Amino acid sequence: MIRVAALLSIGRHPASGRARRAGLDARGLELALRMPNAEVRAFHAGDPHAASLRDYLGMGLETLNVLNVAPGCDPVPALVEALRGVGPDLIICGMRAEAGEGSGMVPYLIAEALGHAVVCDAAAIECASGTARVVQGLPRGRRREVVVTLPAVVLVNSAAPAARAPAFARARRGRIVPHPVEAREDAFLAACEMRPWRARPKRMAVPSGGSAQERMKALTEAKAGEGRLLVNPVPEEAARAVRDYLVEKRFLRGAGDGDGRG
Amino acid sequence: MKMRRDPRSEREARRSTGGERPRFSLMVLKPAVGRLRRSPRIVRQAATVSISPRLRIAWNGRVAPQASGAVLAARAPVETMRVVAEPAFHVLVVPDTDGEGGLSEIDRQLIAAGRSLADSGGGAVCALALQGGDDLGGAGADRVIAVTGIEPLAYDPEGRTAAVLTAIAILSPRHVLFAETPDGSDIARRVAARLGERLFAGADALEAGSDGDTRALRRAQGGSLAQSAKLPRLVSIMPDAFPLHAGLPHEGRPLDEVPMGAADRRISASRPLTVDPDTIALEEADFLLSGGNGVTDWQGFADLAEALGATRAGSRVVCDQGHLPRERQVGASGTLVTAGCYFALGISGAPQHLQGITRVGHVVAVNTDLHAEMIKRADLAIVADAQAVMPALIRLLAERKGGGDD
Ligand SMILES: Cc1cc2nc3c(=O)[nH]c(=O)nc-3n(C[C@H](O)[C@H](O)[C@H](O)COP(=O)(O)OP(=O)(O)OC[C@H]3O[C@@H](n4cnc5c(N)ncnc54)[C@H](O)[C@@H]3O)c2cc1C
Repeated sequence: MIRVAALLSIGRHPASGRARRAGLDARGLELALRMPNAEVRAFHAGDPHAASLRDYLGMGLETLNVLNVAPGCDPVPALVEALRGVGPDLIICGMRAEAGEGSGMVPYLIAEALGHAVVCDAAAIECASGTARVVQGLPRGRRREVVVTLPAVVLVNSAAPAARAPAFARARRGRIVPHPVEAREDAFLAACEMRPWRARPKRMAVPSGGSAQERMKALTEAKAGEGRLLVNPVPEEAARAVRDYLVEKRFLRGAGDGDGRG
Repeated sequence: MKMRRDPRSEREARRSTGGERPRFSLMVLKPAVGRLRRSPRIVRQAATVSISPRLRIAWNGRVAPQASGAVLAARAPVETMRVVAEPAFHVLVVPDTDGEGGLSEIDRQLIAAGRSLADSGGGAVCALALQGGDDLGGAGADRVIAVTGIEPLAYDPEGRTAAVLTAIAILSPRHVLFAETPDGSDIARRVAARLGERLFAGADALEAGSDGDTRALRRAQGGSLAQSAKLPRLVSIMPDAFPLHAGLPHEGRPLDEVPMGAADRRISASRPLTVDPDTIALEEADFLLSGGNGVTDWQGFADLAEALGATRAGSRVVCDQGHLPRERQVGASGTLVTAGCYFALGISGAPQHLQGITRVGHVVAVNTDLHAEMIKRADLAIVADAQAVMPALIRLLAERKGGGDD
């Protein structure tokens, strides 16, 4: 039996701005619920009356512990306190919150306070005795497997399997257990200035040197191919040209070390 | 900056109160009050970069004015490198650790951002060379610290965190800049948590505050709000937010190597996994083999994808015909792909298709039609029958795999 704690936050729809379950946290909960032989507890720091918490219950949780932290307050000390009481082997949460500051610091601060290891970008988790194998989802579809000693905090990214849809009856049935906690105001956030985001023009690399005409041309000219052309080669010659080009640009590994497919 | 006289406020300063009519004293001269006005002539003079051969004015102030006239220019010694000998403070830059060892684009942007912070107060940029220090000076770094005892290309966030912490302890920099990339952001947060300091995560821009300090800007609340704060010590920087260093190269002088420091490693092993290329989402895939209406041998196409280790994609026609699933369609009404290499077989290159591959790095095309648009777009274009080239390429790849090098 492995004790898992899932940290769940309230998300924000990117277009409408409405509250919803946070996508990455829901993926984290999905991983936790799929784990065989695990005892999953869920924690949320915030308003216990938030309607979107029901979506998490609808995924199959029986209870959700809500630490009643007022908005604008630092949730980390309360979460650390609550998690210390549970003593989980594995803490699972999303990489970054969708609402609030969204700096992604909370899991690292919790891990630091509890002395846990951290693994980020998780796409899959498999627990053995005392260790966990985590598959990390990296850009360009690459995957990396790491072995981490438990207890650990695992941060889930969007390469993890999609969260199941919440079931209405389960969402009704599940219990939200509020815990009153004390939390201090986050002084840094209070000192920050907030204003609506205005998209800025994309930065272009402006070529230097040459005449104004040349600089303009370098900026506006459509990118044409290098234009190496072979007309009606024999197939073997064409194949060799393609192979050499791909090796030169490093899309095929050089001879001898296989090509990376299992 | 010299200000222009403002006669109205000077007159206001002479006004004596009381009495029915406005009265102005000619004797007392109180200091002028109110808004001082800028002199546009002086501003223009300061922004003038050169007068001959043509007038050039840089309003953004980023270009240093050259001494006007050819005589003065000839006397000034030609600088080839900028040296900051006695820095007032240090800005530590932690390059991204992703990649193959060289400096990546984001690393150069990071150093340039550090450069702008350092230049505002006579500081020096010090780059941490975690994996070879090629051309850090050219990118704008004054100093380079190499770390001993670290595996250059291994995945070791805990070791790298220890190295950064050691460097911070030695240099006590005013700012530490990290890259907000998968591995870089992980290290930034580990360092911040260990130091117990606030990380300004994902800074998008630096701006001057009202009281002369530097403020940083980031997106909060899911990207809908701009959060700005006085720049803290630890900052991570978004990719493509800052321009590259364009001035003279800097010294890039190596400082004493630092030991990595004690790392308590809980991540014990890591290895890259092989992934089935066809499970990678089209917009993420790095190497695409794309088939069009000119492909008839779909089994050979699948074998070739397997042999190359490429993700399969196609034009709209082949998805319409059901040779490939719809989510494999490249183009305006399909997916806009960002692959490093796009290998197109039998695709004519309709505008709707070419719109999908504008952000592709290298294009290889095989087509029977010399005048196809795809042939014009390609970096390597081959006018040949795809059905003949595919098996030849499969044979060539199998040969190499089985029989060593040629
Ligand atoms: C609103 C709209 C949206 C569209 N969106 C998309 C989109 O998102 N993506 C997309 O792909 N298309 C899109 N299209 C369709 C597009 O206009 C073209 O019809 C389509 O891209 C053509 O596909 P193709 O190049 O595979 O086929 P074809 O145009 O038929 O080209 C086949 C090519 O193969 C060559 N060929 C023939 N035999 C061989 C052989 N044996 N060996 C080698 N080469 C050979 C021919 O010379 C020719 O150049 C859209 C069209 C519309 C109107």
